[in-house]
Amino acid sequence: MDTSNPAVFVNAELLRLYVGRRVRAVIQVLRSDGGVVMGKSTDENQIVVKGSPPAPLSKFVEVVGIADSEKSIIVEVWSNFGDSFDTHTYNQLCQLANGEFKHLFL
Amino acid sequence: MMFSSSQFDAVSAFPGGGSMLSQQSQPTDSPFSSAKSRETQGLVPVTVKQISEASQYGDEKSNFVINGVDVANVTVVGMVFDKAGRNTDIGFTIDDGTGRIGCRRWMNENFDTIEMEEILDGMYVRVNGHLKSFKGVKQLVAFSVRPVTNFDEVTFHFIDCIHNYLQSKSQLQGVTPTQMQPVDTSLSPSVKSASSGYQTAPSSQFSGQSSNIDGVKSCDQLVIDYLQQPASIGQEKGVHRDELSRQLKFSVEKIMESIRSLEEEGLIYSTIDEFHYKSTQCG
Repeated sequence: MDTSNPAVFVNAELLRLYVGRRVRAVIQVLRSDGGVVMGKSTDENQIVVKGSPPAPLSKFVEVVGIADSEKSIIVEVWSNFGDSFDTHTYNQLCQLANGEFKHLFL
Repeated sequence: MMFSSSQFDAVSAFPGGGSMLSQQSQPTDSPFSSAKSRETQGLVPVTVKQISEASQYGDEKSNFVINGVDVANVTVVGMVFDKAGRNTDIGFTIDDGTGRIGCRRWMNENFDTIEMEEILDGMYVRVNGHLKSFKGVKQLVAFSVRPVTNFDEVTFHFIDCIHNYLQSKSQLQGVTPTQMQPVDTSLSPSVKSASSGYQTAPSSQFSGQSSNIDGVKSCDQLVIDYLQQPASIGQEKGVHRDELSRQLKFSVEKIMESIRSLEEEGLIYSTIDEFHYKSTQCG
């Protein structure tokens, strides 16, 4: 059992609070360009994710990695989340998981 | 009288005795018995973080308590790592973003082998299994491992965990967040309801006519529920009435009234002194 390295659920707004920490986010892929992917976060802002994405990349991707700035993540793990995904609900989950119910996650 | 003895006879007939807790938080909860044994519980959605904080009690290696609720079988959604197989069993780790836990799947039948063949490292899966402790380390003995195909399931699972947490919490406090509807006043009131303003629903609470979820629990019910929690049962000297007063937020006088009534019913007994009490129904 190991809970020493959790990944925080973030959207663009929450990402700012966790710079330097391990985070996870679902993004909609806007552009993929040689090691850098521009993504739309679940709260409709842009996040830059860096690393080598798998090919092919689906429309929605979950990235887990280290937030190296307020707007970017260095990705360790990429997961294709398919072409349809409920971003609104995921966004609300991000807020709950960082708010009142944080102790269930971190 | 508040409690009909038949209710408790029915519960003790459950296999394995079981610990008597307020209703488990499954969506298809029946309004009947307010206590279920571990065996009739179903899968509890949890995060690995919650599992890591689960407390254990008793001698068996599978008595876990999460959020004050007895938990045996859980459902977890996360990513598979370090899958390593043999003919007899396959081990793997699940990482759900809140932590990592070791899992083991025994290859009992063809179905097990076929299901596990599909599972690869890096895949998101839902694992349904039994919580166990081995050499002090918590593990999952999985009986079902299914790849996630629609990723809204991931979002759903974590919301399910939050929902389950809220339900356990409200049941522990004896009051649900949605209500404060008074119980039907045509029911014969218990002698004790007058001063406190709480409405008590005597045997109908257990007959299924008025569900626990919709009614306000009486002090008596809360006291007996508290004393039947595994943590209370695990304490040899029982629970001090001051602790009951603090935890349940009733005055000591009110608690003593309930204690006297429950003692008369034979549901609780005093232990080392007249301040400590234990439930007569033990898990």
